[in-house]
Amino acid sequence: MLSNIDDATLVRVAEALGDEEAVKLIEILKNSDETTDDEIANKTGIRLNSVRKILYKLYDHSLVSLRRTRDPKTGWFIFHWRLQPDQLEGFILSQKRRVLEKLNIRLQYEKNHDFYYCYTPGCRRIPFEDALEIVFRCPTCGKSIMHYENDKILQTLTKKVEQLRKELGE
Amino acid sequence: MPRRNDLEQKALQFIINTGYEGVLQSELWRKLRASSREGSRIALKLEDKGLIRREKELRDGRWTYRLYPKRLPASIDSIADCPCLLCPDNPRCDPSSAISPRSCERLTEWVLSITKTEFGMMGDS
Repeated sequence: MLSNIDDATLVRVAEALGDEEAVKLIEILKNSDETTDDEIANKTGIRLNSVRKILYKLYDHSLVSLRRTRDPKTGWFIFHWRLQPDQLEGFILSQKRRVLEKLNIRLQYEKNHDFYYCYTPGCRRIPFEDALEIVFRCPTCGKSIMHYENDKILQTLTKKVEQLRKELGE
Repeated sequence: MPRRNDLEQKALQFIINTGYEGVLQSELWRKLRASSREGSRIALKLEDKGLIRREKELRDGRWTYRLYPKRLPASIDSIADCPCLLCPDNPRCDPSSAISPRSCERLTEWVLSITKTEFGMMGDS
């Protein structure tokens, strides 16, 4: 069914987008051609509003499609959902591009700045320019801040950027 | 010729499984128990079809090719735990605004957690 994507990847995406509930929901969608939110809620035991929340999230990323009909008795709308596995690859690629862009911005920033830090967990690192203004005192805990060597962060960022570029074929 | 096609499929699958490492052409035909002639023909054919990429490589004084798959199955593993993926601030995240990938603490934590796994320590050496 899935061209270049296997079921395990589908589950990984569901995990990344939601939680166990999203995985259960994807399992149901995967095994049925088209299904309603009511049916999913009955089969999985997930609350109907949670089912809808997850479905809308998947819909936002075009991973599911939606068809609407009207219930002849009540006049209410019934939503029929269908998994769109062919959109999965596009979704993964666009997310990777987005993350890559952000990591590139961070990498440049880390490269071009010197950081100062009080080495207290929960406090932030401060770039030199700002550290100068606050006379090298941590604005959170008040301790004096010292130079922070960010070469490991730089290495990790460079590696991750390279990995994503490779995966995107850039 | 079904045998040739079978072999081609097997070869492609094998090359895809090697991922970014690629595989030496000589290694491939040995693994597939094919002759070197068959091996190089299959590699050429797969390249013609745009399914693989061949790069020249010197191995033990002989020129051979390393074969790489052109398209790998998409996987989300490399970014699955990245906080940007589900970040509620995504629409407002921009280098020129207060919420920025430059200073985002969630992103810092993620990078530090990778650093920790890779270097076995915090990035604050």
